[in-house]
Amino acid sequence: MENLAWGLQMTVLGMGLVFALLALLWALLMLVLYLDKEPKPPMSAHESHAEAERIAAVADDAIGAQVPEPPTVNGMPADLVAAILVATMKHKLTLRRQAAPIMRTYWPGSQLFASRWVAAGRARQNYTWQPRGR
Amino acid sequence: MIDHETIGLLLKGINNVTWQSIVMLGVSFVLMYLAIVKDYEPLLLLPIAAGCMLANLPLSPLIADDGMLKLLYNLGVTNELYPLLVFVGIGALTDFGPLLENPRLILIGAAGQFGIFLTLILALLIGFTPNEAASIGIIGAIDGPTSIYVSGLLAPHMLGPITVAAYSYMSLVPIILPPIMKLLTTQKERQIHMAYSSRKISARTRIMFPIVVTVLVGTLVPFATPLIGMLMLGNLMKESGAVERLTKASAAEIANTVTLFLGLAIGSTMVGTDFLKPSTLAILVLGIIAFAVDAGAGILFAKVLNWISGGKVNPLVGAAGISAFPMAARVVQRVAQEEDFENFLLMHAMGANAAGQVASVVAGGVVLALMGAGG
Repeated sequence: MENLAWGLQMTVLGMGLVFALLALLWALLMLVLYLDKEPKPPMSAHESHAEAERIAAVADDAIGAQVPEPPTVNGMPADLVAAILVATMKHKLTLRRQAAPIMRTYWPGSQLFASRWVAAGRARQNYTWQPRGR
Repeated sequence: MIDHETIGLLLKGINNVTWQSIVMLGVSFVLMYLAIVKDYEPLLLLPIAAGCMLANLPLSPLIADDGMLKLLYNLGVTNELYPLLVFVGIGALTDFGPLLENPRLILIGAAGQFGIFLTLILALLIGFTPNEAASIGIIGAIDGPTSIYVSGLLAPHMLGPITVAAYSYMSLVPIILPPIMKLLTTQKERQIHMAYSSRKISARTRIMFPIVVTVLVGTLVPFATPLIGMLMLGNLMKESGAVERLTKASAAEIANTVTLFLGLAIGSTMVGTDFLKPSTLAILVLGIIAFAVDAGAGILFAKVLNWISGGKVNPLVGAAGISAFPMAARVVQRVAQEEDFENFLLMHAMGANAAGQVASVVAGGVVLALMGAGG
C-alpha cells in the first residue's frame, strides 16, 4: 500500500513535470517562431506528404529506427526483378511458339500459334490468283 | 600417454555446459533470426545476439575481468558513454521541422510518456524495488538510448533484459501500434483530415531550436542534460551546416562503431545464471504494457485536443507521441490511409513523433530527478 501511494505520487509529480516542462518549451517555441516569422504559401496535402517522406527517409538511418526493408536483388527491388523475369519468360515463350513448325504440337510447338513462315504460307495458299467472276 | 588430467582439460568446455547456457544460446539464436531473417533492428540485435552467444559459451574468457566484452562494458556502459554517443547520431539524423511547424503537438509527446509511470506503479506492486521499477517503466519511453542510460544508473543489473525489451518493442512498432489505434478510435475519427501549416521555418529558427531546448531542459532538469545535450548537439551540427564532416561522422561512423560496442557489451550481460529469472519475464511483460499504455495515452490526449479544436485533430496522431522516430509516424499514416486513401497525416504524425523524441528524454531526466540519481 505504501508502495502504491509512493508510485501514485511519482506518477502525478512525474507527468506534471513532463507536461509543465514541455508546455514551457511550447511557449518558448511559439515566441521564437513569432519573432522569426516567415510566411509560406499554403502546402497541398500531397506536397506535405512528400516533404514528410523526405524527412522520414533521412531518419530511417538512425539506429533504433530500422524497419524491415523490402528485399532487393543486386540493388533492385525484388518485385521489380520478378516482374522483369516474368515478362522476359513470356516474351521468350511467344517467340518460340511463333517460330515452331506447324506439325510440331509438342513443346515448344503449338497448333494455336503457327510460325511466321507457316502463317505466311497459309496466307499465300488462301489467296486466289484467279480473277473474281471467272 | 594422455592422463586423466589432460582428458579433463580437453573436456573442460563440455563439462562446464549448463542448462542456463544452452537456453541462452537458444535465445541468442532467436535474436539472430529476428535480426537477419526478419530484419528487426539488425544493427543492434545482431551484436547483442553475438555478445549473448559469446558470453554463454562455457568458461568464456571474453567475460573474464580482462576479457574483451568486459572491457567494452566498462569502457562505455558503466559510465553511460555509448548511449550518449548514439544520441549525437540520432540528433544528426532528426529533422525537427514538422514539430516547429506545429509546436502544440509537443503536448502529445508529453501524454505519450504516461506508460512510464503507470508501469512504475505496476512494477512496484509486483515487488520490484523503486529503482528497478523506474528502470522498467522507462522502457515505455520507447527510446533505446534513454532506457539504457536510465537503467544503467538506477538498476545496472537489469540492463540486459531492459535493453532487449526496449529495442525489440521498438522494432515491433508496426505490429503493436495498429490494433491499439483501431481499438481506441472510431472509423469516423480515423478519417479526419488535418489542415497544413503555412509557416516557413527559417534556418535561424532551426539553429535556435536545439540551443533553446538544451538550455531550458538542462536548467530545469539537470538530470536530463547529458541526454538532451547530446541529442541537440547532433541536431545543432546538422542544422548549422557548418560542420558537415562531423555531422556525417556522428550519424554514420561514430554511431555504427558505438552501436557495435554497445550491442556486444549489452549482450555480454545476458549470462544465463543472471538472465534466466522470473524477473526477466516480468520485465518483458511490463515493457509491452508500458508501450501500449504510452500509445493509448497519446491517442486519448489527441482525442481531447480533437474535442477542444472542434474536430480538427485526428486522434491517430496521438499514437505517434512515442519516441520511435519515424517508424511510429509511418504507422499512423498507414492506418489513416487504410480508412481514407486521400488522408495525408504523415507531416502531423512526424511532428508528434519528434515531440515524443524530446518528451522521452525529458521524462527520462524527470525519472532520474525523482529518484535522485544521475546528477
